[in-house]
Amino acid sequence: MVVLPVVVPDAFISMYLPAIYAGLIVGFIATMAIAMKREEIHILILTDLVGLAMIFVVSAVGTDLAEALILPGLVVELAETLAISEILITREMRIIEQNPRRNLPKSSSLFPQPFALNMEILNTAPNFIALLLIGYGIFLTGFTGGAVAGGGIVLYALSKKARGLPVLMLDGIAGISGISWCLWILGFLLFFVAPQYWLLSLFIAACGLLLKVASKVGLIGLLMREDIDRE
Amino acid sequence: MISVPLFFYFGIFLAIVGSIATAWGPGVNDPVVRTFNTEVASIGVCLVLLCYNHVLALLTLLATTVVISLILFRAIIRLEEMGADV
Repeated sequence: MVVLPVVVPDAFISMYLPAIYAGLIVGFIATMAIAMKREEIHILILTDLVGLAMIFVVSAVGTDLAEALILPGLVVELAETLAISEILITREMRIIEQNPRRNLPKSSSLFPQPFALNMEILNTAPNFIALLLIGYGIFLTGFTGGAVAGGGIVLYALSKKARGLPVLMLDGIAGISGISWCLWILGFLLFFVAPQYWLLSLFIAACGLLLKVASKVGLIGLLMREDIDRE
Repeated sequence: MISVPLFFYFGIFLAIVGSIATAWGPGVNDPVVRTFNTEVASIGVCLVLLCYNHVLALLTLLATTVVISLILFRAIIRLEEMGADV
């Protein structure tokens, strides 16, 4: 017997079982493939599929609760993929350092050569689009706004770096992250201590979340900088 | 008229076919091909989220899929240029 809240529409109830079974099938396929593979990078890619199966099962709930659970799930999956890929690269570097015969010449990576094009639009357009994205993200606030503003930061860093130009320093991101946590907790506390200021506390929490997510996405730009920096 | 069950079942179909293609599809010993096949499954999940009216989850899934594929490509390229067996 399944207990159904009254807020779930009938159409979502009829979609519940197919979504659950689809999630189970996708998860089964992904875990079987993980069990059969040996190389770590393949396992990392297949872990992405297990995350998709998780989204299926959670989204079958069909209410706002599902949405609230999918967002942190996706972000945690993103951070996990980032961390594991760094660990893989570091481990592979150590193996190669211990075995000098396998030393290979270091070449460039993701964006191999800087563009030599000298067009004005390549200078001005990325600045404008990044500014537009960051402004729109600040206007949106909250989770989505953080993602949009972070996308603007990454676009700025990548477009500058792809042309071999110096880019703004993104150090001190940990400090911004700490301040945003403080804002978030402050907003949460104010929500309980003084409920009549709910709009203020909502905006404090939303701005904290904006800073947090934007700095997280900007961190990817920081990682890219190390790669692309060597000419 | 837009038929929601059609989108829903097509999304499920895409997700299952995409995951089979990621697991045992042709040419998946190349990690780049495997990463691209993951996108098919993620489009299926996008359709399912669209049927459930989960707008924020859909937008976040799109954003994280792009960023995860960037991270994976970076890892693949770094590992390949270091000469690791991928």
